Amino acid sequence: MKKIVVLVIVFIGLLLTPGWAGQDLFIKNGTLLTITKGIISGGDILIIDGKIRQIGQDLAPPEGIPVVDATGLYVMPGIIDSHTHIALSGTNEGSVAISSEVRMKDVINAEDTSIYTALTGGVTMVHTMHGSANPIGGENVVLKLKWGKTAEDMYVPYAYRTLKFALGENPKRANMMVVSANPRYPQTRMGVVAIIRREFEKARAYMEEWKRYNQLKKNKKLVSFLLPPRRNLRLEPLVLMMEGKMVARCHTYQADETLEFIKLSKEFGFKIGAFEHAWEAYKIAKELAAEKIGISVFADSWAYKMEAYQGIAYMAAFCAKNGVLVSINSDSGERIRRLFNDAAKTMRYGDLSEEEALKLITINPAIQLGVEKRVGSLEVGKDADIAIFKEHPLSAFTRCEKTIIEGEIYFDRAKYLEEQKKKEQKKKEKAEKKTPKGGLK
Amino acid sequence: MRVLKNYLIFFFVWGLIAAPLFGEVVKPTYALVGCRIHPVNGTPIDKGTIIIRNGKIEATGPAEKISIPEDAEVIDAKELEAYPGLIDAYTQYFLESTSPSTAQRQSRMMAASPPEERSWDKTGFLVVENLKFKKTTLDSLHRAGITTILVSPPQQIFAGLSALINLNGEKLPAMVLQDKVALHLYFTTARGSYPSSLMGTVALFRQSFYDAQHYDLQKKTFLRYPDKVSRPKYDAFLERLLPYVIEKKPVIFNCANLEDIKRAIRLIEEFDLNGYIAGANEAWRVIEWIKKARRPLLVSVDFKPPITSRYANMGEEIKEKAEKEIYPHNPAELQKEKISFALVSGKISKPGDFLKNVRLAVEAGLPAEEALKALTIIPARYFGVDSYLGSIEPGKIANLILTKGELFTADCQVRRVFVDGLSFEVKTAEAKSTGKAAAVNLSGKWKASLVSQMGTLESTWELTQEGNKVSGMIASEMGNWEISEGTLSGNKLTMVIMANIMGQDMELTFEGEASKDKIRGTISFAGGSAEMTATRIPDAR
Amino acid sequence: MKGYLKMKTGIKKMVSRVNIKPGLSNFSSYFFSSRTKFNRKTITFGVVILSWLVINSLFLIAQQPEQVIAIKGAKIITVTGEEIPNGIILIKGKLIADIGPNVNIPSEAKVIEAQGLRAYPGLIDGYSFLGIQEISSVRATVDTRETGDINPQANSYEALRPDSVHIPITRANGITCALVAPTGGLISGMSGLIKLDGWTPGELVVKGPVAMHIQFPMPRRSFRRQSKPSVSTSKKINQLKKLFAEARYYEKRRLAAQKNTLLPYPDFDEKLEALLPVVHGQLPVMISVYAENDIKQVIKLVKEEKLKAILFGVHDGCKVANEIAQAGLPVVLDSLYNMPVRWEDGYDALYRNPAALVKAGVKIAFSSQSASVAKDLPWHAAKAVAFGLEAEEALKAVTINPAEIFGVADQMGSLEKGKLANIVLTDGDILEIKRHVKHLFIEGQEIDLSNYYTELLHKFEKRLNENK
Repeated sequence: MKKIVVLVIVFIGLLLTPGWAGQDLFIKNGTLLTITKGIISGGDILIIDGKIRQIGQDLAPPEGIPVVDATGLYVMPGIIDSHTHIALSGTNEGSVAISSEVRMKDVINAEDTSIYTALTGGVTMVHTMHGSANPIGGENVVLKLKWGKTAEDMYVPYAYRTLKFALGENPKRANMMVVSANPRYPQTRMGVVAIIRREFEKARAYMEEWKRYNQLKKNKKLVSFLLPPRRNLRLEPLVLMMEGKMVARCHTYQADETLEFIKLSKEFGFKIGAFEHAWEAYKIAKELAAEKIGISVFADSWAYKMEAYQGIAYMAAFCAKNGVLVSINSDSGERIRRLFNDAAKTMRYGDLSEEEALKLITINPAIQLGVEKRVGSLEVGKDADIAIFKEHPLSAFTRCEKTIIEGEIYFDRAKYLEEQKKKEQKKKEKAEKKTPKGGLK
Repeated sequence: MRVLKNYLIFFFVWGLIAAPLFGEVVKPTYALVGCRIHPVNGTPIDKGTIIIRNGKIEATGPAEKISIPEDAEVIDAKELEAYPGLIDAYTQYFLESTSPSTAQRQSRMMAASPPEERSWDKTGFLVVENLKFKKTTLDSLHRAGITTILVSPPQQIFAGLSALINLNGEKLPAMVLQDKVALHLYFTTARGSYPSSLMGTVALFRQSFYDAQHYDLQKKTFLRYPDKVSRPKYDAFLERLLPYVIEKKPVIFNCANLEDIKRAIRLIEEFDLNGYIAGANEAWRVIEWIKKARRPLLVSVDFKPPITSRYANMGEEIKEKAEKEIYPHNPAELQKEKISFALVSGKISKPGDFLKNVRLAVEAGLPAEEALKALTIIPARYFGVDSYLGSIEPGKIANLILTKGELFTADCQVRRVFVDGLSFEVKTAEAKSTGKAAAVNLSGKWKASLVSQMGTLESTWELTQEGNKVSGMIASEMGNWEISEGTLSGNKLTMVIMANIMGQDMELTFEGEASKDKIRGTISFAGGSAEMTATRIPDAR
Repeated sequence: MKGYLKMKTGIKKMVSRVNIKPGLSNFSSYFFSSRTKFNRKTITFGVVILSWLVINSLFLIAQQPEQVIAIKGAKIITVTGEEIPNGIILIKGKLIADIGPNVNIPSEAKVIEAQGLRAYPGLIDGYSFLGIQEISSVRATVDTRETGDINPQANSYEALRPDSVHIPITRANGITCALVAPTGGLISGMSGLIKLDGWTPGELVVKGPVAMHIQFPMPRRSFRRQSKPSVSTSKKINQLKKLFAEARYYEKRRLAAQKNTLLPYPDFDEKLEALLPVVHGQLPVMISVYAENDIKQVIKLVKEEKLKAILFGVHDGCKVANEIAQAGLPVVLDSLYNMPVRWEDGYDALYRNPAALVKAGVKIAFSSQSASVAKDLPWHAAKAVAFGLEAEEALKAVTINPAEIFGVADQMGSLEKGKLANIVLTDGDILEIKRHVKHLFIEGQEIDLSNYYTELLHKFEKRLNENK
């Protein structure tokens, strides 16, 4: 009882410490896969206050800093998963077709155990999103997976603001089990495009209303009875998009609907941050490269619905080789554990080099999310978000040993194994306690 | 002449009978002698006397100083403790079940479903109009020493307006102390229609409050410049929101977990609401937010970790440990940081459990005096009734309890309860051991229909009940699903169903009420929720 | 026989007696001369027989171009024997005719230069939906799960679609054979072993039926204490026992009626009929079971009913490895792409499962449990290696072990003389991700590695290059 009280008090005490600053750490003698500046064997990384201060060989760490011995291990930047739905209390506002007013930021669940699961796969940052049930979903959020901390600690404010769009079978509810007597509009791809266009037109009109109001406000005679327009939280994100302050992240499969969405983006002047899944992007690699629009895709999860039937495992490599910025995502609390295996598949299907394959899960998603100045590679000045692997991360025989965010170790396999052992011990002791008396105490 | 005589006799007799109905009932005067008085607004008095007259506390003080009036019924209170009647400021007792029938719900669901269909708008729901008196509930509340309760409306996004009730045993609504106490809001979803997700609910709150502000501005501007501004269209919902958004009447947010508390505080700040935070059994984990916000807190003593909490998702052992050892420290932690709060029952449906859990909180470190305050003067202050409730002072309403043994100890027993000066002797619980016997056995075949925004699905259920565990199969055109865990406690049924929908294995949870031939409730799944009703198929003999 | 001998002596007499000069005119004059009247019959007879023999042998030669292929210079991983660092595999027809460091290569052999490559036996998937599922959400293309709970009569290998795009994709990654199994209900039906090359279902099937499939539920996230076995598992076991008893009784009545025509003959019951080989221990059951207590109950059931059994899934393998080993049951693991249900078991519970089972002496095999990602089979094995399984054991678990479990170890599962020539040539460790399959042989035939993926890729590579 006393032990638990102590634990509780310690735990509560830890919680009370405000705004945890980054930690200090020294990683010693590992094979550093920097992503942007080549590979350093026998390399060291000095981390002060959560930032990488020095990278090199035979560095001398200051006294008192905890040391991680990475001899024989591989050190890479923390993996970035640019499409997930973890750490949220809710995925889809599926009752209506347009729900741009919702913000995933309002429903972050920092206690979702999927966060820990992602850490065991070397993932340090996620772009966690609204689902694909709606043509226009909601505002997504970028988090660093600081397991044990608060949602505010995890929130990444300097990423692009992104709004989720979806095309194809999901928003048109093609795979619903029961077709209701009153199906929700739209039920076809043409309806999906039309409804998105309709909302942007509405947003244009709304923007106009506010422009007019702001103009008229300047006239002192009118101010007293001048009413501002009613704030429309649904249209405001679309206005932000047209003003360039928010980008679209659009879920798409078929090449045709992808091209239609690019047309829409030109019609209303908004930017596309990336296409999600985009299983037929290889068919329009030309267009995507010309428009400089990136894609965030699976390695090989396909053939689960009609529009995913022409998705080929060669796609990521093919697009990457032909001028398209490609990142690999998981869109799953299970697959997030093996993004490094998925990246390796592009070497088998498409012959990407090791360097290019690793980019797909580090610097590329960082660029797509607008955080490449802070994360995505091992460079001096960047955040110390690091994953340490037993074998090369692109080997099938590897596993993640430690996951570090801003210098703090959030996943440590060695510690985990110790805890498991202790649990086993306790279980054995409990079982032994029962047997001598031949029953429960 | 005879006629006149008859009239006179008639009126005389009628007068005798009717007088109590019209005149003021003359309440008896009491003198409680020899008890230890805990007045709450001062130090305890060891051997004291309390005089109750006309429903009010006339005098209170050490026995030597108080003279016992002649018309007083003397109650020997030696070795008893006297406390102000306890106030439970967040309950759902006496609420009449108001869920609409399946047919109504179905028709509503299948009708043209514009996104603005405001099924979540219960701002017009007045608790005071939906109360049903139940003697057993009254008795169990008295047994727990509770004399005043706030009844909050049932769960809904904009749930309605609560009422304060003084448990003086009279028929409702004569027990009502105050009507339209506060607007209650829940972080829940509108099943089957917008908003069907939590982020949708937050967006709805924000849009509604902005709309109320705009509506008010529009109305005011129109009244001043009727020639220049167009007349605002009447909106009943926004009208009902105005007192809370503009005039800053109290709004109570029901917060099931720590993120809800943050969500509530953010809304309170964005719209400058007079917001209260209720539930909050995880409040200690966001203590900095609460300190900064300085809003009234109605802390529930339900110690079950909420389902979003990591304690609930890391195995049974940790969950139980959290319930027994971590969550009970919540009130103590708040008190350490000098945060004031009221203690409420919240989800706990039995008054006896409420008191028990307050005791656990005291054992976990909450000082007993603070616990007492949190059940008396603080909730009274929160709801503006502290001028006549919440402590033992002359002039205040005679809501008192006499207990054997100090409150918040294991062997404390409430002996007598005074509400509005009326005395209730509390019978020591003989038959209260089993509470409501689960006399309902759900075994057998049922025919069910599930209504969702995607249509109606018929299914046949085969249930087996052993004790209070329910198991069985659900067969429908989508396949046969197994009920893996079902529990029936009283008339509340919860089930976990292993479904397989189009090759995808999913877990559905069902929560509802069950009676001998009818089960009604909600099925929740990853994308939303739906209503389900089942009727028993009688055995063909 | 008598006629043949007569003909023989007749021909001998003819040859010795007559001086026949070569030449058709000579022969025909001889044939038609009066002196040879007696021999005309014999000669005609002999000519007919001779021509028949000649035509037949030509026919046979045309049918069996017994192909000879020699794979030269590869590092040969036989699985059951020593590795051969630089060896030769000689394929004759369907079989491996010879294998070793020095093998004589006949002149007619087609030689495949394999320097720098590795040769492995074709991989075998322990449980897949190849050929019975195309697009998982399009019901019309999914035949994995029959309606209802009890379907022992359903044969998954009678529903095969050889044109499925998943088959060429899967074999292009080194898998040559796969178990195709149904799922769902309590008894899902029977599975068959297919090779990933064939035009018709008949050509695909290597062995059928292989097992009868029985399903116990997978525990869900809210799975509580394991102190008591789940109620539904005991119910299911009772249901099975009842069914087995019914099947036995059904057979008894039928046999009795066959002996005594006065007794009523029981109606054909397809389900009970299908269960008879199971009940007699001839057809193994593959039981999908996951939770610790369920596994223990299943082991008991198997013993009591005297079934031949294979366990599938076995997520709690770590906890009951010894019991499974003692019962002598093999385990086919399900896809390692699943999440452990209980937090307390640890995040790597399913990953360390295979090693724990092998350590206790259980024979394991891996499976993909898929059609569209069946190609990932070797990478499930690699994942187990990352978490403690020895690499050799992992390789065995995708080659010889499934062959033994399914009773085809005499034909496949390792590179040995006399076995079928199911061979994969890779440019790296077959369990690694980044290696490529350079050549693939199924039953001695070299297989075209192009598939749906490569076809689409080439088509759109063309588009990209067209305006350049």
